[in-house]
Amino acid sequence: MSQTPLRKRVRVQTLLLFLLCGWLLALQLTILFEHGLAGQSASVGDALLARNTETGSANAVTSVVVSYRGFDTLGEVTVLFLAATAIGLLFGGSGPAAPGRAVSESSGTGRSAPNEMMVTGVRLLFPALILLGVYVVVHGHLSPGGGFQGGVIIATAFFLRMLAEPGLVLSHTRIGLLESVSGSGFVLIGLLGLSLVGTATFLGNFLPHPVASMGQLLSAGVIPIIYVLVGIKVGAEVGAIFGDMLEGHDARSVPIQKNEGE
Amino acid sequence: MLEFLDSPRVLHGIYVLGSLTLFVIGLYGLLAKRHLLKILISIAVMELSVYLLFVGLATSPGETAPILSDGLRAFAGMADPVPQALTLTAIVIGMAVLALGASLTIQYHRLTGNADVTAMTELKDS
Amino acid sequence: MALPLTPIWFVALPLLVAFSSPLWARLRLLMPLLLGVPLTLLVLAIALHPLVRTAPLVETIVIAPPLGIHLQLDSASLLLIALIGLASALVAAFLWLGDTEAHLRGRRAFVLMLLLIAGCNGLVLTGDLFNLYVFLEIAGVSAYALSALRQDAPALEAGLKYLIIGSVAAVFFLFAVVLIYLQTGSLSLGAVASSFGEIPGPMQILIGLLMLVGLGIKAELFPFNFWVPDIYQGSHPAVASLFSGILVKAFLFVLFHLVFVLLADPEVIRTWLMGLGAATMLVAETVALRQQDLRRMLAYSSLGQVGLVTLALGFGSEATLAGGLFHLVNHTLVKLLLFLLAALMLRHLLSVRLADLAGLGRVMPLAAGLFVLGALAVLGLPPLSGFVSKLWILKGFAEAQVLWPIALILLAALIEAAYYFRWIKTLYEPRAQMQEGRPLGHWVYAPVVLLAGLLILLGVAPFLVQDLFIEGAQSLLARDVNLEAMLGARP
Repeated sequence: MSQTPLRKRVRVQTLLLFLLCGWLLALQLTILFEHGLAGQSASVGDALLARNTETGSANAVTSVVVSYRGFDTLGEVTVLFLAATAIGLLFGGSGPAAPGRAVSESSGTGRSAPNEMMVTGVRLLFPALILLGVYVVVHGHLSPGGGFQGGVIIATAFFLRMLAEPGLVLSHTRIGLLESVSGSGFVLIGLLGLSLVGTATFLGNFLPHPVASMGQLLSAGVIPIIYVLVGIKVGAEVGAIFGDMLEGHDARSVPIQKNEGE
Repeated sequence: MLEFLDSPRVLHGIYVLGSLTLFVIGLYGLLAKRHLLKILISIAVMELSVYLLFVGLATSPGETAPILSDGLRAFAGMADPVPQALTLTAIVIGMAVLALGASLTIQYHRLTGNADVTAMTELKDS
Repeated sequence: MALPLTPIWFVALPLLVAFSSPLWARLRLLMPLLLGVPLTLLVLAIALHPLVRTAPLVETIVIAPPLGIHLQLDSASLLLIALIGLASALVAAFLWLGDTEAHLRGRRAFVLMLLLIAGCNGLVLTGDLFNLYVFLEIAGVSAYALSALRQDAPALEAGLKYLIIGSVAAVFFLFAVVLIYLQTGSLSLGAVASSFGEIPGPMQILIGLLMLVGLGIKAELFPFNFWVPDIYQGSHPAVASLFSGILVKAFLFVLFHLVFVLLADPEVIRTWLMGLGAATMLVAETVALRQQDLRRMLAYSSLGQVGLVTLALGFGSEATLAGGLFHLVNHTLVKLLLFLLAALMLRHLLSVRLADLAGLGRVMPLAAGLFVLGALAVLGLPPLSGFVSKLWILKGFAEAQVLWPIALILLAALIEAAYYFRWIKTLYEPRAQMQEGRPLGHWVYAPVVLLAGLLILLGVAPFLVQDLFIEGAQSLLARDVNLEAMLGARP
């Protein structure tokens, strides 16, 4: 087998792929241009928007995410939990009992030391980021934002600290506790809604949520509580994913530190 | 001068063209690339194009964000909240799957020194 | 305050137990709970049966169906739920009693398996398209992680391949859901079904194709199933038994549920589905002939049976539907039996290649005997249950005067016989010395023997369960009743 025919074959393959993809694009474009441009006439979303005042939440997206389609959100949090569990399995090594100290000591040599800018900047940013994250979570039913966005901001704050202080290792047991408490809390609130006569449906809004208080921090009944739980859960999961990846990186990079050192 | 952009048909046409082009770029990357991380990126591009299509086509020009603030007092003339909520859900799911895929790739690369999808030959017809 | 027994428990209970897993790990209750949760769900399913018989049970979540999410439990989905409970309980018992590898018994594997069960239950129950996507991802992600559980190169390769192909399927499915929402403005199955006919024709075809690709990948239908044997070979056989036993079945059910609910006239797609089923069956059975690894052979055989079920369900007459559902249950039981036996052989001999299994009949007589029983059940020999279900399917086709599927099914059975007898012959070949692995306790065999007993029981006395399957088939076909139940649910 010589070089030329092989290369030729590859080119033909690429060309065919190009043609295939172009054809698919043209096909989908014709269908969508023909039938998909009119916009929607009447959708479920409009109906939900029209009756959104009943939830007492000023943010209609939040009332859809947490209340009307709260079951989807539960599923989404579950997927995140699954991914964090699996990543912990891949990078966690022997198990959660592994001492954090040993990993952190080896990591001090594995990664290049963070520079002064990084350390000082993170020290300044950390409280501000945490505050911003908490604000975004708590005001999810009033303004753009909510549990996911705020949870990710909080996780980012911790991630920055992990980068700036190589000795810092998040406690696996504590993260596990946060994960399980917030996740179980979500399901239990849902079951409480199912068991109380007033709502009698899973995830029903059983706390008082008068329309008059719409726009205040304490309004919308159960929605802010669920969103705070989601925030804790997302923060813990994403933080755990960051932490596991970083530890897994440190644990392996020790033998080849000379190549990376700079 | 640019008023024609306010007509929903034109605007939606631009959204459709852009997001479908992205989708096909992702599809091409998925089929043509062999590096595992490039394949994962292609899948992410495909997912993102679907989100863009969803949010873009479900909103008409002139609609505001479905939030009561800045003087808005009634839920009228606002964008459909459902596609935004669904996209939020789908983005988080996509991120979780992508994180798992990247971790699997890293671990596989550590174990075998290989990140080429055509060279994955542990499992094959015997 | 009372806790009503509604379908939500099939999802909420495994979720709750999985989320609170650190507590159970500390109390050393992981294995009892892994067995207990599916058993509880099985009992709940049986308890709900009288209620479901009269009318489909629709549970709304927060807001009534056209606007919100609902779960629907009818005779057909109840059948699947009970099957999922039974199968996962048996696998859990095998893991517990069998003293299996540590990585299958840890907290993380516990979480993954429970969420796989929750995902499959949600797939079967949900009546909302986007919710279906969420459950598809839950079931998918837990399956990707489960197949990579052992963390050696083959397992990671299986996990990666599964993740890539599964994500592609999910993207295609999501695209179809997005287009449906943009066209009909609704996600609830009932509302979508009543306005699906008004979508312009080309758009209907695009949505249908995207869905068929997405669900076809997940349900392992022919052009999209090239990845399946790799996954089954790379995963632990007990995990593979869960994939073949419940995951594929849930996706097959979803595919046909959507077909029968969305399309006013399923005849349009009948030829396509039957063609896909027949192609899946024939191609898989032919390729299975030359496999040298037991897990791969079982994977191809599983694909063949999936094709047969698709063929029967795709035809869509009441008799073939009942036969198809019965065969689906049978196949779950048989594949659980065979994959769990493969797990035992793998542990004892450290290999399940054809050449290494020669003479197994002398070392592990019970395992070899049960393997023969399972093989005969796949082939459909009386008095085993596979015979009855295949007979129902063939009778259904004969009544409808459609003969080509009968010929194909008999041909496939012939090919199946060829390769299963090749393996059986090897098992009983005389061989001088076998290397000995770890000795197995007697309790290891308890779940496997129970499975074999169920196969014989269903084969000897199919009338015990006949009504269940006929009711299931009727409820799948009763589109009007389903739509009415979905749209008229209480707020």
